[in-house]
Amino acid sequence: MIEVSNLRKYFGSVKAVDGVSFSAHDGKITGLLGPNGAGKSTTLRILYTAFRPDAGTALIDKLDVTVDKLAVRSSIGVLTHGAGIYERLTARENIRYFGELHGMSGKELSLRIDELAELLDMSDFIGRRAKGFSQGQKTKVALARALVHNPKNVLLDEPTNGLDIMATRGLREVIQRLKSAGHCVLFSSHVMQEVAALCDEIVIIANGTVAASGSPEALRNDTGEQNLEDAFVKAIGSEEGLI
Amino acid sequence: MHTRKISHLSSLWTILRKEVVDNARDRRTLTTMAVSIVIFPLLIFGLLWFLDKTVKEETDLVNSEALKLPVVGSEHAPNLMNWLGQNNIEVVDAPLDPEASIARGEHRVILLISRDYPEAFSKGTTAPLRLIHDSSITGLEKIGFNTVQGAIRNYGSQIGSMRLLSRGISPEVASPIRINISDIATPQARSGQFLTMMPYLMIMFIMVGGMYLAVDTTAGEREKGSLEPLLTQPVKRHIVLLAKLGATVVFSALTFLLVLTGLGLGLEYMPVDLISISVGAGKIATIFVACLPFVFAGCALMVLVASFTKSYKEAQSYLGMVMMVPTLPLMSLAFLSPEPAMSNMWVPALSQGMIIIETLKGETISFDLIALSMICSTVLAAALAWVAVKLYQRERILG
Repeated sequence: MIEVSNLRKYFGSVKAVDGVSFSAHDGKITGLLGPNGAGKSTTLRILYTAFRPDAGTALIDKLDVTVDKLAVRSSIGVLTHGAGIYERLTARENIRYFGELHGMSGKELSLRIDELAELLDMSDFIGRRAKGFSQGQKTKVALARALVHNPKNVLLDEPTNGLDIMATRGLREVIQRLKSAGHCVLFSSHVMQEVAALCDEIVIIANGTVAASGSPEALRNDTGEQNLEDAFVKAIGSEEGLI
Repeated sequence: MHTRKISHLSSLWTILRKEVVDNARDRRTLTTMAVSIVIFPLLIFGLLWFLDKTVKEETDLVNSEALKLPVVGSEHAPNLMNWLGQNNIEVVDAPLDPEASIARGEHRVILLISRDYPEAFSKGTTAPLRLIHDSSITGLEKIGFNTVQGAIRNYGSQIGSMRLLSRGISPEVASPIRINISDIATPQARSGQFLTMMPYLMIMFIMVGGMYLAVDTTAGEREKGSLEPLLTQPVKRHIVLLAKLGATVVFSALTFLLVLTGLGLGLEYMPVDLISISVGAGKIATIFVACLPFVFAGCALMVLVASFTKSYKEAQSYLGMVMMVPTLPLMSLAFLSPEPAMSNMWVPALSQGMIIIETLKGETISFDLIALSMICSTVLAAALAWVAVKLYQRERILG
């Protein structure tokens, strides 16, 4: 459960996030949709405790992200933008490293890695060093790393970036499974089709503020557009930056 | 979906271990270490071998072969010519333009005897001689000049003594003081002169050994995009930084130990007669332990600098300059050759330099001074680490 209220983050004169409020519930997939530079990543970075907000509150499972940083970090799994993994470690070692940082060890950790390798279809490269991995393989490792401690809340920043169609389909399947297992999934994207296909709730962000939010149906009704794409464009006010 | 209790210590250990494994697989790190154990001794012993050879040649030159000395006007001083002959200096014909000949490098030294010489000599006044040489020539070539000068001086003082005796005066009157020189330097200490450059090289290797890790674990990790995921793990940022510093120290210390071992083995097995130093396990252990606080300080300095650079390249170019910083205090070793004292042993790098030299020489430094050096360097290391931690807390660390 993620609750964001009137969040603000300025970088000098740039208002990256300027009063964002929304909530993401357990067992639901919530999408942050908006053009590049709208403030999606900054919002996520505040949620996963990398940035401190200038104003407003962000709660994850009722814990304030600026106060209970370590507890918040324990309860979230994060796929950051770019998904950097360690090239000289094997896929398994990459995942194990983060598992150990979450206090896991031994057989519990090994079994969990096997489970994730199975889930994400990683068995043919799990023992290989990550140097030379394709973007899809890297993203899988980063995703497995984010999920290793079975976090209640999953935050994904542009997870389908650089993935081919097959990998994207696989990722969607994983996100659906997380939803049915009762996780709270929050992901950002600038791809409308992706958000429309997956999300129970959509939060449209433009220029650092929430332009519209609700279920896909609600958005269509609110804007008076039958087509979801037109609804997005109307909510944002321009077609710029969307795919 | 439960939160586990994670101790800071186990997080620190996890990160440190990962960095060590990760970087042990890095070819650059391994190359640095290989170089430290192979190239370092080769460098040192190449130099020592050369010095050794030079000194031997010098001795041979003086002892056996006669030195050829061109003399202008040798007919004016037949006695002096005899004396020179007895001193293994062979008088030869001089070129037409002696000064130009010296300038061109055809001869190193030429003696000029003027027409006034015989008259002045027989009158008992001071007879002038002129010795032409080029003082910018150093090393082996200088020997000829010194030998000739020495021989003529001896001749002069003998003649002087004889003149005094013939006037019934004891020659001792004219030499009120005689200096008897006793050199108490042990052979090891004398060799130590050649080892003055050791501190430079060792401190450089301490820095180089940790450099790749300092860059890779901070600026490198940010550039690869793995820093942000790492910082979203339930670990305090200062633990992350201290673990990375720890890994840097591990590699830096290991490189240092390899260099010391290479030096010890080299001195044991290399055929260099001049250097009669042996570096056993005891000396290696003393130097290693006494210099460990500096290893910490050097690594903290590099991690600190690498923390606020934006890219791998930037970090590398900054660190190239930072590596020179600890060698600055060492300059005074070459110019002043200070002795360890309370007034200088607090200076990081310099104090370690003196510990290295004195220990290699086989001399002992009082425990107080070593403790002073270790404490001051530890304080510096802690201060640098503290600043690095502060920098690491900033949001800008994520770039």
